[in-house]
Amino acid sequence: MIQVRSLTKRYGAKVAVDCIDFTVKPGVVTGFLGPNGAGKSTTLRMIMGLDRPTAGTAEVNGHSYLNLLAPMREVGALLDARSANKRRTAYKHVLAIAATHGIGAARVREVLGMVGLDSVADKRVGGFSLGMNQRLGLAAALLGDPQTIILDEPVNGLDPDGILWIRGLLRQLASEGRTVLLSSHLMSEMEQSADQLIVIGKGSILADGPLREVVASVTRPVVRVRTRDSARLVQAVAGTAVTVTTEADDTLEIVNLDAEGVAQAAAKAGVVLTEIVTVEGSLEDAYLALTAEKTEFSGKVGAQ
Amino acid sequence: MVVTAQRGRMDAPTVRPAFVHVLHSEWIKFFSLPSIVLGLAGIILFGVGGSLFLGVTLESSGVPSEFSAERTMADVTVSAVVIGQIIAGVIGVLVIGTEYTSGSVQPTFVAVPDRLRVLSAKAIVAGVACAIAGAFTVFTAWAVNTPIYAQFGLDVQLTTPGVLQVLAGSALYLGLCSMFGVGVGTLVRSTTAGSIIVFLATLVFPIAVSLLPFGIVSRFLRIIQLGNAGDAMSRINEVGAPFLDVWTGHISFGAGSLIAVTWAALALIAGAVVLQAKDV
Repeated sequence: MIQVRSLTKRYGAKVAVDCIDFTVKPGVVTGFLGPNGAGKSTTLRMIMGLDRPTAGTAEVNGHSYLNLLAPMREVGALLDARSANKRRTAYKHVLAIAATHGIGAARVREVLGMVGLDSVADKRVGGFSLGMNQRLGLAAALLGDPQTIILDEPVNGLDPDGILWIRGLLRQLASEGRTVLLSSHLMSEMEQSADQLIVIGKGSILADGPLREVVASVTRPVVRVRTRDSARLVQAVAGTAVTVTTEADDTLEIVNLDAEGVAQAAAKAGVVLTEIVTVEGSLEDAYLALTAEKTEFSGKVGAQ
Repeated sequence: MVVTAQRGRMDAPTVRPAFVHVLHSEWIKFFSLPSIVLGLAGIILFGVGGSLFLGVTLESSGVPSEFSAERTMADVTVSAVVIGQIIAGVIGVLVIGTEYTSGSVQPTFVAVPDRLRVLSAKAIVAGVACAIAGAFTVFTAWAVNTPIYAQFGLDVQLTTPGVLQVLAGSALYLGLCSMFGVGVGTLVRSTTAGSIIVFLATLVFPIAVSLLPFGIVSRFLRIIQLGNAGDAMSRINEVGAPFLDVWTGHISFGAGSLIAVTWAALALIAGAVVLQAKDV
């Protein structure tokens, strides 16, 4: 469980994180989505005690990270892929981190095996690809078998196999009842991985709730129809609230009238529809709506 | 795939890992960096090699007519101290500086959020390692030079008054230089800037202040130099010499030790203040 209350970070006059509140619950994967520079990494660094908040608090299991007695046994974090000395071997890098909590060599070999680095454990990190560095960081995060996992852009640099693997891993960690917070600027990744979604933009929380609810709350389903007789269909569905956009290929997109309504209007007017489909809003649409109209949707959306 | 070591563990650990675990972690990091291991080898090679060079050239450069333990011990310790102080200081800078340049500082402080614990562990590991390397260096230098100096009746024994103190003092000084480097590296967070400061403090400033016009200010500046403290800690004092004499510039073993400890402590305190105040 992660609780962030009125968390603020200012660098001089610039506000990086502006009085944000959110809670990350155990048992699900929570996505933390926002463009580069939105304040994602700064927020995560404050949760991990690396950056000092200007105001507010960030707590893990009810304690500030700085006050956790054995932090690695409660929280595992991958904050930056490039976080190992190039001249050190992967094994020694993880061994040194493990030693701070009295964790032994057997567990180090075990986590290196879990992330698929056992064959290169005794190679220097300098020769590692970005994806291998991500796996190394993940190995360090898993060392203490923590109940809370925080990952900042973990899929960067991973090959397709690695991305599928990490998705499965996050699912598994959440299903074991752990708290999983995953930040990304990649919407496709969020759509694939996250159950809950927190959207951040310009240092403020734009939305917070179950992913489908967040999307539904800021997007509207569109009925897409195809007909040879588009002019008459436009007349037939015309109403105060209905918006019709004409696309290429005799396709119309109709908002504020469901598929049944469109079909009945077409039947009444004698217009033949060759295709009719309801398109749900995508995360991409939701995200654009959220960031474009920041003030309108600055309140909490969903399960609050 | 198995992720958990103990499946379904929900216990929140209530025991804080002991400081010795942090020391162990820093010890692993210290000896797994090739540049640091190379530095330790450099202290030994230059220290023993330089001293041996003075030994084998003793006859051609003019053998002293009178036995002086002070002169013989100076030949034993001078290269270990003069070259070693720079290497030990740079090793100290590397201990923390490489964490910032490589990004490994982030997992370090995630694993140990108490920043002063990390800094103390780094200072202790670097200080102890460089002091041990220094002790090995000066002892070896004494051992290899003794047969050469014995040909001229200039050899000193470990039982000769002051000899053990000077061997220990040289080792202690290198340890303190390394701790000074850790403090400086924490302060500037750059291996380049930190190494330059070490070079200035140990070698350049003592020479620079000796060029200043004679006066109370230049005399005072002279006795507080880190490099001059090292000189005092690796030299046999004349019997009855004062603790500290500003006008003659005489620094006793005790005064030199105090000055070197002060430099290391001030650098570490300054580093600690910055480390606590700034974001990682």
